[in-house]
Amino acid sequence: MPSSPANNAPALTDLVMPKLGLTMTEGVLAEWKAKPGDSVSAGTVIFVVETDKIANEVEAPSAGTIAEILVQTGETVPVGTPVARWTGKGFIADEADAPRPAVEAPKPAPLPASTGDRVRATPLARRIAKAQGVDLHAVAGSGPDGRIKAADVEAAAKTAPAASPTEGERIALSAKYLAMVRRVVAAKRDIPDFQVVRTADVGALLELRRQLNAVGGPKVSVNDMVLKAVGRALLSLPRANRIWAEDAHIAFAATDVGMVVNSEDGLFIPILRDVGRLPLDRLAVDSAAAAAKAREGRLAAGDITGGAISVSNLGMFGAKALTPIISPPQSAILGIGAVERLFRPDAEGKPALRQEMTLTLSCDHRVYDGVLAARLLQAVAEALEAPHSLLLTEG
Amino acid sequence: MAELRYVRALNQALSDAMAADPSVVVFGEDIAAAGGPFGVTRGLLEAYGADRVRDTPISEATIVGAAVGAAMTGLKPVVEIMFMDFVAIAMDAIVNQAAKARFMFGGQGSVPMVVRLPHGGGVSAGPQHSQCLEAWFAHIPGLKVVCPASVADAYGLMRAAIDDPDPVILVENKALYARKEDVPDDLPAVEIGKARIARPGRDATIVTYGAALYTALEAADTLAGEGVEVEVIDLRSLQPWDEAAVLESLSRTHRLVVAHEAVEAFGVGAEIAARMADIGFDELDGPIVRVGAPFMPVPFAKTLEQGYLPDAGRIADAVRKTLA
Repeated sequence: MPSSPANNAPALTDLVMPKLGLTMTEGVLAEWKAKPGDSVSAGTVIFVVETDKIANEVEAPSAGTIAEILVQTGETVPVGTPVARWTGKGFIADEADAPRPAVEAPKPAPLPASTGDRVRATPLARRIAKAQGVDLHAVAGSGPDGRIKAADVEAAAKTAPAASPTEGERIALSAKYLAMVRRVVAAKRDIPDFQVVRTADVGALLELRRQLNAVGGPKVSVNDMVLKAVGRALLSLPRANRIWAEDAHIAFAATDVGMVVNSEDGLFIPILRDVGRLPLDRLAVDSAAAAAKAREGRLAAGDITGGAISVSNLGMFGAKALTPIISPPQSAILGIGAVERLFRPDAEGKPALRQEMTLTLSCDHRVYDGVLAARLLQAVAEALEAPHSLLLTEG
Repeated sequence: MAELRYVRALNQALSDAMAADPSVVVFGEDIAAAGGPFGVTRGLLEAYGADRVRDTPISEATIVGAAVGAAMTGLKPVVEIMFMDFVAIAMDAIVNQAAKARFMFGGQGSVPMVVRLPHGGGVSAGPQHSQCLEAWFAHIPGLKVVCPASVADAYGLMRAAIDDPDPVILVENKALYARKEDVPDDLPAVEIGKARIARPGRDATIVTYGAALYTALEAADTLAGEGVEVEVIDLRSLQPWDEAAVLESLSRTHRLVVAHEAVEAFGVGAEIAARMADIGFDELDGPIVRVGAPFMPVPFAKTLEQGYLPDAGRIADAVRKTLA
């Protein structure tokens, strides 16, 4: 009896982040090989997962159509997290939690030259490396599968400093950390960025914050007030609320702003929604929750996508200024330095004690020009210097 | 200097040895009146008489058995097996008698015998007339195996083989008989066990012997056009083989290819590769690559045989692989 054709509206199931090794707990979705609407057959590579060890091509376990992609390229998610919805059946990761050690990477890509402690090198290369004190882990092999040859070692020995071939400890990094590394490398490589710097007098702001926190309610931080100032600046300058997208701009209506959070696994940027229209006390609650989620590694894909700009604050560590790297696909990031007490001439030219903060705006020149950058920075600074405006929820 | 063919060099060596030593005798199928199927023994009957140059029945076991006995009793026989393939039925006399005699009689006897074995394909002679079986003999303690590639070595190794007090297997590639070279008028004997550098080079070493030498030199020419200078070593002797010369070359080039016409699997190349992977390990800057015939009888059809025999393209590819 011939099999009946599929239903007109086939039920959707989850494709999840597979467990590609016994020690894998999370993976970076390095590349999508299929897009929504694509029909794939069993064995077609649908996406590539990178763990801290290896890149794996993940094949479709059956035929099916991709309905929706839930996890974007570059995102890191725990094993078992749905990455897409599709009409196919079965998945390698369905068995991830079963006590069967047979569930491994379907097809491991060729090992790079120096994975962990295993180095591929010819005997002659090893002999020369030993004699000259060259660490083979640090040598890029030009042979097949990255095999290190004698010439590679000799080249490395020439470029390496002649003295003290001390060996450092090699530290394995988490997939999240490596994902962050890839993002910043891509940003520095691909984004034509420039910086605009100015200071803001934050004496009134600090006083307002003291008063607000004395009232009770959610504790408002300086960072919350900067976030709020950025959100308001975006409301007044919607031209800045754009990102670059392959020969086009995408303009956002909502004034989402990212907040850089430091954690042991690296930096994360949870996105706070429509900050310009969000009351400051609500913003304080949201930012505290987002920071906690980031530090605990609980950020979901939806928590870290969106927005055209982020804020990175190193003021609490005393850094005078910070020139941050834009987080793609965003178009700008504002670096915040420490509050400094210094004398400035007042209207009569007499020294007046001020509290100032240095703001550095890194901008993507595909979206910004110098005037737009200066105007956005001006709007932020003016909001900080007239801080009661931060208590308004509109306009 | 005079131009000399390979087949004439062998003939000259036999004649000179017979002139120098009356104990040297020659026998085999059609080697006397007919001068041998390839002409190697032409004129010997007329020059040295029927007592020393004899036709035999078509029985290889008899030929070699008689040679072992003659050698044990004071003669220096040089016998011809028409095609190396036919030696299979004479193996007992070679392996169990000739190779063992010196050891089993406590050094009091020896078998100063030369067995000439024409090998090699390329002449559409089919699976039973084309094989290269030299590895069989190189595996037997007590036998020496030589395989001259050049005209000068054909002369020099024949003289050395006849002078040697122990059994020597002299392997002649049929495709080389017509080869011509300018050689000195007074050709010297060639020491068994000594290789020669047929072409100097710095980037990789090809070790080869017999007719494959010329295929390897062709590959070296091709690679020179790509800027790769290959050193080509003609082993000349397979047992004993010149381990020191190969190691010395490997120590300069750090890459090794072994090429021969014989089937690659379990062949001479396997022995050389294994030894160099051991004593030459720290010199290697790439894998040792072998080039030989596929694991398959030699095909009859000309086109199939051309595909079967290792050619310069395959040897060049092997060099590129070890340089990769």
